[in-house]
Amino acid sequence: MSKPLEVLLLDDEPIVGRRLKPALDKIGCSVEVFEDPAKAVERMDQKAFHIVVTDIRMEGMDGLQVLGHVQQNYPQTKVIMITGYAKIDLAREAMGKGVFDFIAKPFKPEDLRQIIFNAAEALGVPMACPSSGNRPVETSKPQGSFDPSTR
Amino acid sequence: MPIIIISADVGEIEQTIAGKVADQLEYTLLNRQLINEIGTKHHIDPERLNREMETTPSFFKKLSPSQWRHDLACIEHEVLDRLLAGNTVCHGLGAHLYVRGVSHAMKIRILSANSGETGDIAAGKGGNPDKSKKSRPAKLQERKKWSMAAYGCDETELSRYDLVINLDQIDPDEAVKTITDAAGFRKFQVMTYSMKCLTDLALTARVNTVLLEVMSDVKVEARDGSVVVMTRSSNRNKREKTAKIKELAGGVEGVNLVEVHVKKRI
Repeated sequence: MSKPLEVLLLDDEPIVGRRLKPALDKIGCSVEVFEDPAKAVERMDQKAFHIVVTDIRMEGMDGLQVLGHVQQNYPQTKVIMITGYAKIDLAREAMGKGVFDFIAKPFKPEDLRQIIFNAAEALGVPMACPSSGNRPVETSKPQGSFDPSTR
Repeated sequence: MPIIIISADVGEIEQTIAGKVADQLEYTLLNRQLINEIGTKHHIDPERLNREMETTPSFFKKLSPSQWRHDLACIEHEVLDRLLAGNTVCHGLGAHLYVRGVSHAMKIRILSANSGETGDIAAGKGGNPDKSKKSRPAKLQERKKWSMAAYGCDETELSRYDLVINLDQIDPDEAVKTITDAAGFRKFQVMTYSMKCLTDLALTARVNTVLLEVMSDVKVEARDGSVVVMTRSSNRNKREKTAKIKELAGGVEGVNLVEVHVKKRI
């Protein structure tokens, strides 16, 4: 059985984590939820994640700073940004800084599942198609795939 | 991959640069040739559509504001539907004015006020370079008036664009290279958010086309399949008009919900 996709989900609104964690668990992700960016960054330094899903506007540290931390220390980790304040300038700034994808709130859980699926594919970590809602299929690990445990 | 929307103060320049960019990137080129297709599909004379892309409504031109708005909405609808496919270079269809807030749509303005290249290109297209140069200020004024009337914004205002290239200083081939290079920037790549913005714009345009065929006082906004229509009506006709809008907009592909707000002013 392939290892689950390690996902860190960071949003200062507790409802976001409560709603998205089950949606991602369902497709075989192992999700850790944080509301405090400082604690999330601390956790990233202890454990490796394939994907970080982060809000942009947060107290203390914003999503772009979280992106900077990830890129500097864990360049293979894919960062997905979610925000309720989406605007063209912010989207371009985030994209220019290397975010994997950017999505505006509110969105449907399947929208995020599709992005996670795309990120997993880019990382070379196989997953079942999100639309099927199945657990991940067992497949051999592609060459050059990213395994956070080997970080 | 991004959408590249090119506009220029000289039509021939716009056509030449857009064609070269599309060739080099192997993108689809969307231009005035689409007007014939739009005319056939929406049963509008293509000549009239072409005229409407250049002129504002007037009694003397036998062009009413409601007819003009509807016909422009048809063009907008067809262009936006095609832009959803991505990998497209678009010019001559006003897209720089109605594709708003889409981060993977790169808008480019080419200036060629005194450029010798302009004359060469105009001559190559069978135009008279001197005549074209003399009439340019008046044409720019016309374009400004048209864009303000059609979309409430001035197309000659350079801050609207992501990239402005002055052919007085840069050769056309260098301009093409600058554009194709910029198309590779991460900032202009497709993301979930930008696709959603474009999808919402396309749905707004589809609903607009259907409603403007039978009424003129509507303002449409679509998001995720939900459509909000603002309109005016007397108290007596309010219920009937709301029902009509719900019926028409609800029949458009991609619409899940229609909300109608009747206001005194829209």
